[in-house]
Amino acid sequence: MLNVEKLVAGYGKVEVLREVSLDVPEGALVTLIGSNGAGKTTTLRALSGMIAPWSGRVVLDGAEIGGLPPHEIARRGMAHSPEGRRVFATLPVQDNLLLGAFTRITGSRPKGDVAADLDRMFALFPRLAERRAQLAGTLSGGEQQMLAMARALMLNPRVLLLDEPSMGLAPRLVEEVFSTVARLKAERVTMLLVEQFAAAALDVADFGYVLENGRVTASGPASALKNDPAVRAAYLGQAH
Amino acid sequence: MQILGQLIVSGIAVGMIYGVIAFGYQLTFVTSKTLNFGQGEALMLGSLVGLTVVAYTGYWLMLPVVLAFGMVQGAVVERLGVRQAIRTGSESGWIMATIALGIIFKNLAENIWGRDALKFPSPLPEAPLSFMGVNVLPMEIAIVVGALGMMLLVELFNRRSIHGKAVVATANDRDAAGLMGINTSLVITFSYALSSMTAALAGVLVAPVTLTGASMGGALGLKAFAVAIIGGLSSGFGVVAGGLILGITETLTGYYISTGYKDVPGLVLLLLVLSFRPSGLFGTAAIKKV
Repeated sequence: MLNVEKLVAGYGKVEVLREVSLDVPEGALVTLIGSNGAGKTTTLRALSGMIAPWSGRVVLDGAEIGGLPPHEIARRGMAHSPEGRRVFATLPVQDNLLLGAFTRITGSRPKGDVAADLDRMFALFPRLAERRAQLAGTLSGGEQQMLAMARALMLNPRVLLLDEPSMGLAPRLVEEVFSTVARLKAERVTMLLVEQFAAAALDVADFGYVLENGRVTASGPASALKNDPAVRAAYLGQAH
Repeated sequence: MQILGQLIVSGIAVGMIYGVIAFGYQLTFVTSKTLNFGQGEALMLGSLVGLTVVAYTGYWLMLPVVLAFGMVQGAVVERLGVRQAIRTGSESGWIMATIALGIIFKNLAENIWGRDALKFPSPLPEAPLSFMGVNVLPMEIAIVVGALGMMLLVELFNRRSIHGKAVVATANDRDAAGLMGINTSLVITFSYALSSMTAALAGVLVAPVTLTGASMGGALGLKAFAVAIIGGLSSGFGVVAGGLILGITETLTGYYISTGYKDVPGLVLLLLVLSFRPSGLFGTAAIKKV
């Protein structure tokens, strides 16, 4: 579904990603783990066009998308729930969700049933249903995270990029986020998940990639990575 | 008392013009953090194009032509003067570029329509109506209705239509809007088109009351900028209040003190607002909960 080959990207003159290659097969949940500054967020930003890749190939559904502007990439079916949630603060919850379906409503992606999908999101995230008329900027951090995920899902994406959905949330909410991810996986939503909670991410994922200083240093089935002594020592620590 | 009422009525009419131009500043500022310092010239061009077209089409058919012209003119300003500055992250390139375009438009207008003030035909009777001794020109009422109507239409578009919501989303967070599949460069071009369109409308509304001519834009654009600062560059209808405050203080000062000082109170207010409430009298800090 999504194939990344030797992706190089960075900011200004600083190279952050050094030939990152990874694969996200259809229906799979792939996680990208690594310490702060390893380049996880930068990888997602380069995939969705928020920054332009310097070199390498990004192929979605057989078509090269590297270097396209973000709105073109979204129109090809990539949804990105970005770091920091980035909800539209001055708009109500419901409008945030409708904007997630902007490409469908305006005809650049198959329309499907937007209203039914809206209801599906409200069923998946009942807190959002209660607050559908409330301005997104007044939601709590956990609610904003749910909104960011739901908004991305409203694209009916071919691939969903999730950047640190657990960031800054209370432990109970972190569990809720991971159970939501597990439910989406059960519905065969293709996902690339970036997470700081490596253990939890590997528990739920099919495949994993370990990123270190902008390079993939280990990869494989999530269960194998979890038992890899080097990965355990570096990322899973005593917590697991 | 009658005189006071009369002054307030004139102040409201001119204030609404300031308000609608200032509204145009807001439209581009929220989406791109830039604005067109040639906004006064957009108004002037709208008015002069209207003057030429009205001879062929009559008043009412002239309006859509002027609005369309305003949109094209605004899009041109964005493409030539602003887009590159936004792309390269230039903090000030757009300021000089939009001023330069304004000067070019003014010179162009001087060459086409001359330097003299021209009379603009009024679509409404030019005899004033009298309300309790206060004379109100029908055109002054049209100014208030037209200006408010335009702002309401834009607001309605932003709230109700998916494309309007896309504009608001771009104003909120341009990167995130791009991730939704919104072409945010196009949204910014569109906001410039809309902004010049409101200015062009203001031009044809005000021209029958004042006069029109190549030099009509400069002072109006600058005062409307003061109104945008006073009302808040991000607060929807704050510009209406700001415009009325400036318009009314101007006519009152002009009558009770001296026409020579009529610009002073508004500018003093501008300085006070900049010192004590930089986000504008009605501007609110963005809601953000972490």
